[in-house]
Amino acid sequence: MDSKQIEQLLEKYWNCETSLEEEQQLRAHFRGEVPESLSEIADLFRYFDVQQKQQVEHSDFDALVKSQIKQHRPEGKIIKMFYNYGRIAAGLVVVVAATYFVRQEMRKAYPPEITDTYSDPRLALEETKKALLMISKSFNKAQKEVGKIKVFNEAEERIQGKSLDETKEQATKI
Amino acid sequence: MKYFVTTCPCHRLAFETMNLETFEIRVLPTKNKLFRFAFRLLGSSEEAKDVVQEVMIKVWNGREQMAEIQNMEAWCMRITKNLSLDRLRSRQRRATDPIEQGMEIKNETLTPHERTENHENMERITEMIAALPEKQRQVIHLRDVEGYSYNEICEILELDMNQVKVSLFRARNAVKEKFLKINAYGL
Repeated sequence: MDSKQIEQLLEKYWNCETSLEEEQQLRAHFRGEVPESLSEIADLFRYFDVQQKQQVEHSDFDALVKSQIKQHRPEGKIIKMFYNYGRIAAGLVVVVAATYFVRQEMRKAYPPEITDTYSDPRLALEETKKALLMISKSFNKAQKEVGKIKVFNEAEERIQGKSLDETKEQATKI
Repeated sequence: MKYFVTTCPCHRLAFETMNLETFEIRVLPTKNKLFRFAFRLLGSSEEAKDVVQEVMIKVWNGREQMAEIQNMEAWCMRITKNLSLDRLRSRQRRATDPIEQGMEIKNETLTPHERTENHENMERITEMIAALPEKQRQVIHLRDVEGYSYNEICEILELDMNQVKVSLFRARNAVKEKFLKINAYGL
């Protein structure tokens, strides 16, 4: 490659228009001798070249990894499963605890209307009788009052009966 | 890679889930690329090595889900990137700090001849690239050091084509600018 081509390729390179092959050509070119003016650029491409040769520094990395994956596999899975179950269990515990406390609070805030007040059944019976008597007394009283309404009813019926008779009499007269 | 062309039902299993042999063929050989990438991001060879081991274990443990992955290398590179960035964040350290460590490692990989000849310039270039913003550093490493295609870089970095190209353009131009400056001072 002559210097003109290299200049053109470099221009394309800075504009990110070079293909991978062209970039490899540049690298290959700068591995050889280059004029003084391009020595800085050559260093850049040599730097890339050198960097690509860097390797993991470990005597037997593959063996290390292989032994690690053998140890790691079953253990990791069990932990993960327990972890998942643990999460579900923790969620349930929270829900149960929350409902328990809410129920308690609700009971405190709204005490139930029917509660056991007597422990002795006889006493309870007495009290119930009393209550029922009171209700029946009230009923009787109310019935008396209702009796008065009867008078009105009878009066109404009588008036209606009269008017009916009148119409009948008129009809026979004609 | 015999396992991937066979139609014999007894070899089916090898196609579906990775066994140790396919792991050795497809995953282990990527170790140096993974190491270089992690090293570029973290700036410490010890940590980079840890990350590579972590990636390998992750790929092995998740091999059942990864049976359909075609570009295993790009996938490994992506995991490397994510784990390295996690480490960077947990360290809460700026990635441009460990320039000195970078130089130390680089010297080890140079032959004595190269070391005496280019030492100063190589140092300068390492510094230049280490000073770039994270994304630009990733892209210039993947493209100019490792020679990945733009599509592969998109896959590894989880970026779209435009972002990759813009980052590479900025990275290369930052390097070029610095060269021009050095030359100006040199005169």
